[in-house]
Amino acid sequence: MADRLQKKVGIVTCSGEELAEGTVSRLAALKVLEKLRPDDTVTICLPLFLAGGEGDRAFAKFYPTITIDGCDKRCAYRGTQKYSNTPAASIVITDLAAEQALGEIEGKSDLNAAGLTAVDLAAEQAAGQVDELLGKHWSRREGAFTQTNPKDEDSHEVTATCSCGSGIPVQLFEIDGRKFEIVALPLLFKTFSGQRKAPSDDTLKEIIAEVRIYNVIEPENETALIDKIDQAYQDYWKDNESKHEQN
Amino acid sequence: MSKEKKVIIIPCSGVGKSFGTVSRMAAYQVTEDDRPATTQLVPLALLVLGDEEARETVENNPVVVIDGCQLACAKKMVLESGGTVSKEMAVLDFYRQNRELKPQGISQLNEGGKKLASVIAAAVDLVVDELTEEGGKNG
Repeated sequence: MADRLQKKVGIVTCSGEELAEGTVSRLAALKVLEKLRPDDTVTICLPLFLAGGEGDRAFAKFYPTITIDGCDKRCAYRGTQKYSNTPAASIVITDLAAEQALGEIEGKSDLNAAGLTAVDLAAEQAAGQVDELLGKHWSRREGAFTQTNPKDEDSHEVTATCSCGSGIPVQLFEIDGRKFEIVALPLLFKTFSGQRKAPSDDTLKEIIAEVRIYNVIEPENETALIDKIDQAYQDYWKDNESKHEQN
Repeated sequence: MSKEKKVIIIPCSGVGKSFGTVSRMAAYQVTEDDRPATTQLVPLALLVLGDEEARETVENNPVVVIDGCQLACAKKMVLESGGTVSKEMAVLDFYRQNRELKPQGISQLNEGGKKLASVIAAAVDLVVDELTEEGGKNG
């Protein structure tokens, strides 16, 4: 079921503004996002796990995630693990530099040769991890791999965008004055509609099964929330049908 | 991190937008070139993780935040960490006042972005001077 949504890998990078290795981690992440695997990767700023909303905190539950950290404090890894989900893979620039005997990395705003080499090596390593992760089946329900499924796609250069302000799309409902955020519902509606699944009891059951992968629905709100989701999908379907007719 | 009183500069850690890079470049200019003796950069990630030393630093020193977008992560994290924001700067506000300096590029800022970072850094320098002067008078 979860496979219906497009699979991508999330890249979360160290924000280490005080270290040159932090710059390496950000530039390596950007190289993966923009040049090496633009179709397969997305990113989010680490502080959004706290400063953002539920959709942002759901990031690593929704995407298998690679963290790129500048130093052994491993802020990106620990932050992602603490606020979202355990990363699927990680890279630490200081470890990489030591393993490869790159020498001292210097220059926060203008990296030296060792820093630039570290960017290339870290980006290549992360790209390999992306391939590995997408070659396996990532279960969003379990937050872990379940089976292998090799993947082979060409990449092209694009501009990376972060998830600022959006994270995973959410839909808001209000029940008895209380607000509820349903993570990933807009994506699910798009997917079900794209598969031409018209609103029905069966479709609703499938949608709710998917909704439960990303959201906890409290028993006391279950009936009201399912009614809201049912109505929302009917409205979404009608809007889409109208757009199709106009085109 | 130094225990000595300094003005703490916290830029946005935005990875995917030019405005994030501008905020970092401005912070580097202030802390490394313009006011290295009176300022200190604290990375946002340490505040996200609740690092004790970083929290203590923002609690006990004046803080200037330079946020890259309206989500204002830097400001929110300082407040969340028990600190007080002495001055809040937003890259977007400076861009609105300097439309000719449109930042482009993330890993390599264009000239407009670099100039915008310098404009912001100059404004931060003034705030740092005010804060350190006040600190001197009070202290």
